[in-house]
Amino acid sequence: MIELKVGQDVEMEYGGSAKVISEIGRGGQGIVYLVKYNGMKWALKWYDVDKIKKPKDFRRNIQNNIHDGPPSDKFLWPKYLTKENDEGTFGYLMELKPPSFDSFVDILNTYKLEVDPLTGHAAKRPVRFTNLFAMVTAVINIVNAFRQLHRAGKSYQDLNDGGFFINVQTGAVLVCDCDNIAPDGSNFGIGGKPGYMAPEIVRGIAKPNVQTDKYSLAVVLFKLLFRGDPMEGEKVVKDVCLTESSELKHYGQNAVFVYDPNDSSNRPVRGIHDNVIKFWRIYPEYIRDAFIRSFTTGISDPNKRIIENEWQQLFIRLRSEIIMCGCGRTNFTSMYEKPDEKTFKCPRCGMEFTSLGFSNRDYRMPLFVGCRFYECEITPGSDDFQSVAGELVENKLKAGYLGIKNCSTKTWKVRMPDGNYYDTPPGKGFPIWKELEIDFGDVQAKI
Amino acid sequence: MSDENKNQASVAPEAANTSGNAAEPETAKEDTRSDSLLDFDDDDPLSATAVSKKTLVIFFLIDTSGSMKGKKMGELNTVMEELIPEIRRVGEADTDVKIAVLTFSTNVRWMYSQPVSIENFEWARLRADGVTSMGEAFKELAARMSRNSFMSSPSLSFAPVIFLMTDGYPSDDYKEGLAALQANSWYKFGLKAALGIGNEANDDMLAEFTESKDTVVHAYSGNQLANMIKIVAVTASQIGSKSMTLSDESNQELSEEDVYASKQKQLGKQIQELVGKSNDTNDVPFDTGW
Repeated sequence: MIELKVGQDVEMEYGGSAKVISEIGRGGQGIVYLVKYNGMKWALKWYDVDKIKKPKDFRRNIQNNIHDGPPSDKFLWPKYLTKENDEGTFGYLMELKPPSFDSFVDILNTYKLEVDPLTGHAAKRPVRFTNLFAMVTAVINIVNAFRQLHRAGKSYQDLNDGGFFINVQTGAVLVCDCDNIAPDGSNFGIGGKPGYMAPEIVRGIAKPNVQTDKYSLAVVLFKLLFRGDPMEGEKVVKDVCLTESSELKHYGQNAVFVYDPNDSSNRPVRGIHDNVIKFWRIYPEYIRDAFIRSFTTGISDPNKRIIENEWQQLFIRLRSEIIMCGCGRTNFTSMYEKPDEKTFKCPRCGMEFTSLGFSNRDYRMPLFVGCRFYECEITPGSDDFQSVAGELVENKLKAGYLGIKNCSTKTWKVRMPDGNYYDTPPGKGFPIWKELEIDFGDVQAKI
Repeated sequence: MSDENKNQASVAPEAANTSGNAAEPETAKEDTRSDSLLDFDDDDPLSATAVSKKTLVIFFLIDTSGSMKGKKMGELNTVMEELIPEIRRVGEADTDVKIAVLTFSTNVRWMYSQPVSIENFEWARLRADGVTSMGEAFKELAARMSRNSFMSSPSLSFAPVIFLMTDGYPSDDYKEGLAALQANSWYKFGLKAALGIGNEANDDMLAEFTESKDTVVHAYSGNQLANMIKIVAVTASQIGSKSMTLSDESNQELSEEDVYASKQKQLGKQIQELVGKSNDTNDVPFDTGW
């Protein structure tokens, strides 16, 4: 491989050159450098062409992707190609990840190593989601990004934990390593990362495509929520040494989900898979079901894998079922007691939460100060999971008096405590009371 | 050397009967009550510990006999010191990379009494003296590469990387030691590579150890030595944990025979490609210019 040196100039395809400032990281296909080009700092991915099967086709594919542009603003997409040098080596420039984003690998490790540039001494710094909304929002952002990509007719091909940067405070997501993205059906040699590859790729009978992306996506989501490997349980650990043939067996020919309801041979092992054992019982049944389907019928039949839109719906629901209790306990409604149909009760402090029922779904949304619902939840067909439509707030003039503020752009009809219906335009609010009814237009809600 | 604290690592796979059916929320709650490990307060969806990792031990077998004295040892120490931080993050979130260093001269000696996680590993500079007891080193390695000793990780391990560096011919009966190694399954499935340093090292003998010629490289100068060590160590530590290219275009179902020793083959192929590119002709050989 032709490594670049600090200070070296790399000629760009359409003129000018990028100057190498430092190395950022190394991957299976090459090295990423920090460079300066046209007065701005960029990341340069520089290929080890020996590790790429058909470098010319690979380069042309990146060229096409640059031309098509990213499917959404959640991708750190290739921007400019370099010239090919005499050895046929090349690279591309992409935007740098903002400092507020951490790598998914660091989130899984729960820390990152920060090296003191003077002493070379490495110190561990914790990397964790600061709140549950951020984590669930990150999931929604990830599945939405892949939904957009697949709608554009492309597949990512090498989906793994190294492919994301996440803001642990907001759940914002950036998808990186977009260089293997190709039109569905095309493959330029990449297989994927062990543990994330769909079983049919491990077995050698398929190449990466949109359906194998869906399998890898389920693994990524499982890792993010349950913090473990969906296929590594008792059956796999018994092998002690993971040889090539055990990888083929446990991740290909005979992959068994650790919570397969019909096959208990590969359950998580206490002392090794404590995260998975602990988190599996915390998540509501509809989330567990989706993973069971992904990793049982979805193993043998790629068409039965969960589609991105279904993941998106499930996690939008999960986001609406988070309760932040006054005692500090934050959890999903399934982990709260339910004294009656409309009430959730904190098992730790006993605080009770009433809930709002919507005409377009059969689960209720708990109400607490700061809880929000979003545009997609009150407008049929809307894909906007980011715009807040309503938020539960305390009245600024009357302390302790709670109500819902209309943060949307539409006027709602609301039943007020006098029993009459009034218009509530954007920016206005109304109190919570026991016979509250809200008409959003196409969707209605009531206490 | 270090058998005192091995027992704590054994783990019984016992989860099958305790967490078998968590389909109903009620069942899940039942589980928690009867379960002292997972107490009621410990239900915070954010309070995760790091994901469980697979362990990869990289063994360095280093010749510290008298002939290594001077420039060879100096280069080797320096490159190893620099290499460790470079491969620190290679395991990412899936692999816990550990390092074990066995030196052999008149006696064999481990640098540390246990494999050490790469994040905490510090290179202790080596000195050269004595004869080349390579056979003894093989025997010692065979004895330690066992579930009861160095491979005691409770979770899964990858087959180890075993990297031999020497500048001469063994002064003892290496065949006997090699036979002991060949009977060890960790060795059998491991990724083996060797570096011959200078003119005395015998590549055929080294290929007996690696079981393939492609993973034997040779360094005749200081620059080459540094390059070869980096090439072999970095490549070997990445195989299995990084995204890989498809090895087969045929779309035929792979069998166990197809994948047997495929990583060793991959390592050989990658090393040969890299070695071919890094020949520096202006370099001064170890044995000239004196």
